[in-house]
Amino acid sequence: MSVIAPNFKFSKFIQSLISDVVWFVLIFSLIGFPIIMMVLFFIPMPVIDGELLTPFLAFTYLADPTRTLPIVQSFMMTDMFKIMAFPGFGFAALLAAGTIFVERKMLAKLQLRVGPFYCGKFEGILQLMGDGLKLISKEIIIPAKADKPIFWAAPVLFVASAAAFVALIPVAPGWVVADVDLGLLAVFAVIGFFPIVTILSAWSANSKFPFIGGIRALFQMVSFEIPLILSLLGVVMVTGSLNLSEIAASQSSFPWILFLPVGAIVFFITMLAELERIPFDLPEAESEIVAGWLTELSGMMYGLVQLGTYLKLYAFAALFTVLFLGGWNGPMIVPQFPMELVTEGIPLGPITAKIGGLEPLLTELITPEMINGVLMFVLKTVGVIFFILLPRGVFPRIRVDMLLNLGWHKLIGLAFVNIFIALALVYAGVLGPGGLQ
Amino acid sequence: MADAAFLALTVITIGSAIAALEMRSLIYGSIALMGTLGGIAGFFFLLDAPFVALFQLAVYVGSIAVLILFTVMLVKRELIFKMIEDRRRKFAGIGLMLIIMVSLGAVFLDSGIKTITTDELAVDFRDIGKNFVTYYWPALILMGLVLAGSVTGALVLARREDVEDDQRTN
Repeated sequence: MSVIAPNFKFSKFIQSLISDVVWFVLIFSLIGFPIIMMVLFFIPMPVIDGELLTPFLAFTYLADPTRTLPIVQSFMMTDMFKIMAFPGFGFAALLAAGTIFVERKMLAKLQLRVGPFYCGKFEGILQLMGDGLKLISKEIIIPAKADKPIFWAAPVLFVASAAAFVALIPVAPGWVVADVDLGLLAVFAVIGFFPIVTILSAWSANSKFPFIGGIRALFQMVSFEIPLILSLLGVVMVTGSLNLSEIAASQSSFPWILFLPVGAIVFFITMLAELERIPFDLPEAESEIVAGWLTELSGMMYGLVQLGTYLKLYAFAALFTVLFLGGWNGPMIVPQFPMELVTEGIPLGPITAKIGGLEPLLTELITPEMINGVLMFVLKTVGVIFFILLPRGVFPRIRVDMLLNLGWHKLIGLAFVNIFIALALVYAGVLGPGGLQ
Repeated sequence: MADAAFLALTVITIGSAIAALEMRSLIYGSIALMGTLGGIAGFFFLLDAPFVALFQLAVYVGSIAVLILFTVMLVKRELIFKMIEDRRRKFAGIGLMLIIMVSLGAVFLDSGIKTITTDELAVDFRDIGKNFVTYYWPALILMGLVLAGSVTGALVLARREDVEDDQRTN
């Protein structure tokens, strides 16, 4: 095992961190704090509740939960929080990171290998962080004859498209970044940007292997977009809506996969092809064309494309969950929070610990229903991601003519069958107005 | 706000249309064409027609522009294009464009566009669907036939067995 720092000891690392913290606190309280006070002395402070906001009072406010928790709550309701943290980028990136780790470990187990093992004490759990640091620290090499503006822009555009896709996914009732009335159409519009970015990135590298990979990606994505769109029309017909939140809410009694299994299968296969996953990983076929359209990308540009790929994987799995598996609907397994602990406080011997300001947060924002919805959504999505990862350990890569054959007549035919099933269900009165729903 | 967005979209659309014509690099030209088509989608958004706008994005930017890009990448342009450009052609082109724009503008201004009220709600796509199956049903059937014909044609083309059937192993 080659190691960069042979004398590294985890306990020493923690020790150094703690000593850093101690020095920071010492220096801040001796120098920084007086400086802040002196600066604040010359700034006219506002009057709040008939009281002049002195620096001491401001620090007291910071420690008062009745004043800080409403700020936290209002921050959690802003668009910024939704885009960056919860239903948006942060949440998706967290799931994507988990996906990468599980994929590597699971593949290793399937192929009787060990997989990531050394980073972090337990089963290589810090491997992903190490890889990320490695990618950030590596040099970005641009090929000499590359078309530089497009080459630089392509990874960023790829991540941006994936993030736009993630923004359309509803995670729990009301928890969605962009609640578009025509959400499913917006999804189709966003999916259409991936082949453009791919082919532009491949062309701009001005190299053989990326170009071959890019052309293959274009073939694959454009031809599988048609069965993808057609396979989702059945859901739109039985729901009567294009809004993803409404589609998810309409499955409160049963998921659509019970009635439209053909559409779900077609969508799942097209999803594998759109994600360039084995058995459809021709654009990246590492045993034939080095790394396909990713060949010339290096350093963090490659890291961005990988991030975009896994965000896209999460978004597709989440879309499958929302459209066919019922989204956040499921049995209520999260117990109701005992509210008297918040309203009356927790008796701890002679005193009662009571946190003011927590009650509106728990009754309006983070309700047990919301936690349960998120839990159900994550469980289903993780299950779908597992089934997306599984073929990688099982199947070989298929040829491009078999791929196009599959896309153009088997899947399109099946998608039409699915549309007719949906029409029959609606017109026979099984679903839709007067039927089960 | 809407005026600023309109101006920005106009600049993007017309600017990238001119760029699409004038760029020497075909790839950049087709990227600029994508900008034009995307700008038109933006106009549809401004006109409260998100349904049309999203279809514009999905079909024109997502598919047609990709096909153009794909075709352009397979072309060796030195073999096909010869630069024929002189002063007279340029001025004739500009003049033609001005005439067309002025006449189109006259048609628009004459068509009663000023009396349209603009504070109505966006049309629900369900209404579009209802109109399609009631008043515009012949158009719907015609479109359905054309699309079914083209899908069948694509299937038949993809199923071509004469070429390399002996190479196939599946």
